[in-house]
Amino acid sequence: MDHGGPAPPEPVTYLCGDCGADNTLKPGDVIQCRECGYRILYKKRTRRIVQFEAR
Amino acid sequence: MDTVTSYTRFPTVRIRELKDDYIKFELKDTDPSIANALRRIMIAEVPTLAIDLVEIETNSSVLNDEFLSHRLGLIPLKSERAMEMRLSRDCDACDGDGSCMYCSVEFTLNVKCTSDQTLDVTSHDLISSDPSVVPVDNNLAQDINGFDAPEARGILIVKLRRGQELKLRAIARKGIGKDHAKWSPAATVAFQFEPEIHINEALMESLSLEEKKEWVDSCPTKVFEVDPQTQQVVVVDAEAYTYDEEILKKAEAMGKTGLVDIISRDDSFIFTVESTGAIQASQMFINAIEILKTKLDAVRLSFDTEEADDQFGELGAHMRGGGM
Repeated sequence: MDHGGPAPPEPVTYLCGDCGADNTLKPGDVIQCRECGYRILYKKRTRRIVQFEAR
Repeated sequence: MDTVTSYTRFPTVRIRELKDDYIKFELKDTDPSIANALRRIMIAEVPTLAIDLVEIETNSSVLNDEFLSHRLGLIPLKSERAMEMRLSRDCDACDGDGSCMYCSVEFTLNVKCTSDQTLDVTSHDLISSDPSVVPVDNNLAQDINGFDAPEARGILIVKLRRGQELKLRAIARKGIGKDHAKWSPAATVAFQFEPEIHINEALMESLSLEEKKEWVDSCPTKVFEVDPQTQQVVVVDAEAYTYDEEILKKAEAMGKTGLVDIISRDDSFIFTVESTGAIQASQMFINAIEILKTKLDAVRLSFDTEEADDQFGELGAHMRGGGM
């Protein structure tokens, strides 16, 4: 499941900081919301399980 | 053998007060070193279970993953089984994590807030894979007013707003307080030396009633009292004495040095033990003795000890058990 290697870059979904719409961005794309033009986008949390030591 | 003095002593324990999470007892006929060893073992070496690994699937709460994991680790778990369990690093029946019956217990938590009201996620929401290992529940049930006592609601982990969700798996492992304080079963372990108070009656009689009252009142704790009938100073509660020496300074200031003589007995201790609820306070003390015994066995059976036996001289017999 590792992303290492020459696999084609997957488009990643981001959330718009203003209107909250989903945006899919590929490397090289302009960082801008397609719906409202807002220039701050947030990355989503991973769907993988994350492990922590309870200390 | 007859020429060798036996150092063997036979300590006694007298229980004064006993509750699930509290015990007060006297330990007599032993040394401060033993009393202190037992105190330190109860705090740092009696094993319990605590959440040690957290696998978070979803967390949209206001607290970050690390913060939540830390909070989960600090929840005391009922650990009657801990003495028989294995430390996960010594467990050969499993690969370290996962649900191995010898060394770990699995918990799951899956909560989502769907109402407009804030949802409290508490220790009650943790589902255990082993019914004997659950978060402590002081279950004082209902307050006098009919409202839930704060304890009856469990231990608060996080609060969720509408739409927020928390889903995780946690693994509890056996450990000791020396590694991390979350494994310590002790809330308080303290001992005091039993004081022996002798009043110099002859010197005391040279005081007027006013002076006696003044002297008695100079003690920050209520140790002495002037008997209203006989007008004599009597000791009402020797154990209330905190070795503050205020009463001695007062006697000196009044020009009555030696009015009272206070000795701390170093072979008699009063223990106060409070548990977090992970194990019963009385069991904590019993386990501590058990651990001290295994430690002494390790010393006695070690090759180094036998080699160095000469330096103990006549104490050598004592080290080996005194019997031979």
